[in-house]
Amino acid sequence: MDPLFLGVVVAVSTILILFSGVSVALGLLIVSAGFLVVFDGMRSLELMPEILFGKLDNFALLSIPMFIIMGSSIASTRAGADLYEALERWLTRVPGGLVISNLGACALFAAMSGSSPATCAAIGKMGIPEMRKRGYPDGVAAGSIAAGGTLGILIPPSVTMIVYGIATETSIGRLFLAGVFPGFLLVSLFMAWSLYSTWKSGNTELLKAGNYTWKERFEILPRVLPFLFIILGVLYAMYGGIATPSETAAVGALLCLVIAIVIYKLWHPADLWVVLRDSTKESVMILFIIAAAGVFSYMLSSLFITQSIAEWIGTLDVNRWVLMAVVNVFLLIAGFFLPPVAVILMAAPILLPIITTAGFDPIWFAVILTINMEIGLISPPVGLNLYVINSIAPDISLKTILYGSLPYVACMVLAIFLLCLFPGLATWLPDAVMGAAI
Amino acid sequence: MAAHSTAAAAHVGGNSFLRAVAAISTLAGWASAAMIVLAVGITCQMIFVRFVLNASTIWQTEMVIYLMIAATLVGLPYVQRLRGHVNVDLVPISLPKPARKVLAIFTLCASICIISIMLWYGFENWHIAWARGWKSDTVWGVRLWIPYLSMPVGFGLFLLQLVADLVAVILKIDQPFGLEDT
Repeated sequence: MDPLFLGVVVAVSTILILFSGVSVALGLLIVSAGFLVVFDGMRSLELMPEILFGKLDNFALLSIPMFIIMGSSIASTRAGADLYEALERWLTRVPGGLVISNLGACALFAAMSGSSPATCAAIGKMGIPEMRKRGYPDGVAAGSIAAGGTLGILIPPSVTMIVYGIATETSIGRLFLAGVFPGFLLVSLFMAWSLYSTWKSGNTELLKAGNYTWKERFEILPRVLPFLFIILGVLYAMYGGIATPSETAAVGALLCLVIAIVIYKLWHPADLWVVLRDSTKESVMILFIIAAAGVFSYMLSSLFITQSIAEWIGTLDVNRWVLMAVVNVFLLIAGFFLPPVAVILMAAPILLPIITTAGFDPIWFAVILTINMEIGLISPPVGLNLYVINSIAPDISLKTILYGSLPYVACMVLAIFLLCLFPGLATWLPDAVMGAAI
Repeated sequence: MAAHSTAAAAHVGGNSFLRAVAAISTLAGWASAAMIVLAVGITCQMIFVRFVLNASTIWQTEMVIYLMIAATLVGLPYVQRLRGHVNVDLVPISLPKPARKVLAIFTLCASICIISIMLWYGFENWHIAWARGWKSDTVWGVRLWIPYLSMPVGFGLFLLQLVADLVAVILKIDQPFGLEDT
């Protein structure tokens, strides 16, 4: 059978199997086993556990549970609320200070926790009721937090970027840096829209914020700064060449746990177990998908599908931006149904040859891919963040949350266009800090 | 909507088989969490030895990798019990209840089949490493049957949990896909 046609059959079968409701990792293993048996014979099944084990046999993977422990120990504390309060107290003179501090707190908390739903929950629990109390439109209150929460997978350190780095064998350090300016760009666009729509709603009084004394402003800092220092320390150790991402993340995980125990008094074994249980659950889930995706990509290359797609793309006479548009639509659709990690792991072996053959930078592409995944987080039917907001503010209807989020989706699409026009937004910082890519 | 970290554990009712499997899976979860914590500790110790004592490290990197592999494989049944393995439940949600149950039984049977295959060949891998006395080609030279043991153990316990989930759905103790009626 022609490998390209076979590729289409594999894609359709994978979609059918995944939509049956089977877990993503097991679905990938089932599809891989099926095609390996049909085209390579029964004996190829022998290799599956070995490939799966081999895929996990990688020190870089350690950074995933470590960053997850960092994130869930921070998320288990009041750090989100403290961060939100600190920003509100410090941004009183900025017009629309409240919505600005909400989005700023989302961006900072996203950087610290690396998790989108955790950011939504942590900042939204405080931010949404406060914004509504002061009369902000429900759509702005819910939409800004839902969108702000998605920054968790873009702003470093991000587990999604680590997974992309591992799947495509690109530098995790570069990927983290590539997310910084696009992260700022998105936050600025979100803030601009929030201010505009609040101003348009006619209630310009809202854009004035409350007053706080300098004492109130300073007394909150000791509760907020330790976690921020750890994150900055971890990033400094990584870029200073002191240790690898996995090693620095391990130290960061230990320090975050210690701070959660000492400053936030998380010393009850039951509370600690919740942090460990959630971290274990998420890490095992992601690592198992990574392992299963390893078997899946072995199957694709064993049946010459990956190679044929790359060759076929090379012979296509289409504009590379048309190709990029098609890839974006594909990612967007995949992101509507699947969590970011699963999309990256399944799409990377197929998309990377396409991207590099068409002359795109894989680091820049990681940012484009991540913003696409962010859109998926606030779009139905999966839209995890929408449901998180719905659970913390049940009296705002899902429809209002959804419509409130739509303009932020438009901001993300605009950011993708800007990144296509000015790729330097993503690639300049990694090149400046780590030298030009070879 | 994809499953996420707040999903509740599967129901076991008063069924003693389901309760026993749930207890075993929880124990496996503790073991997995302990291995992750141990990996954090060993990595910090490795950094201390290398940067503070200026000494070389021999076993730490390999040990941490094997601990992570074991944590992943041994943690599988616990994550299954907590419904932590993400899936796309759009179709199951939109199906009427009887069809949803049929689909749940089908997906669980398919999962059981694939994990049985992984268990069988994973056991074979472990057995070969043990019988032939394979060692890793590093300075530490660990006997490979030890890390390979995580394959039969992890897949074996995962299989047990999947069978328990199937039993729970068939006996109507648990809802198909864990979806409560809306």
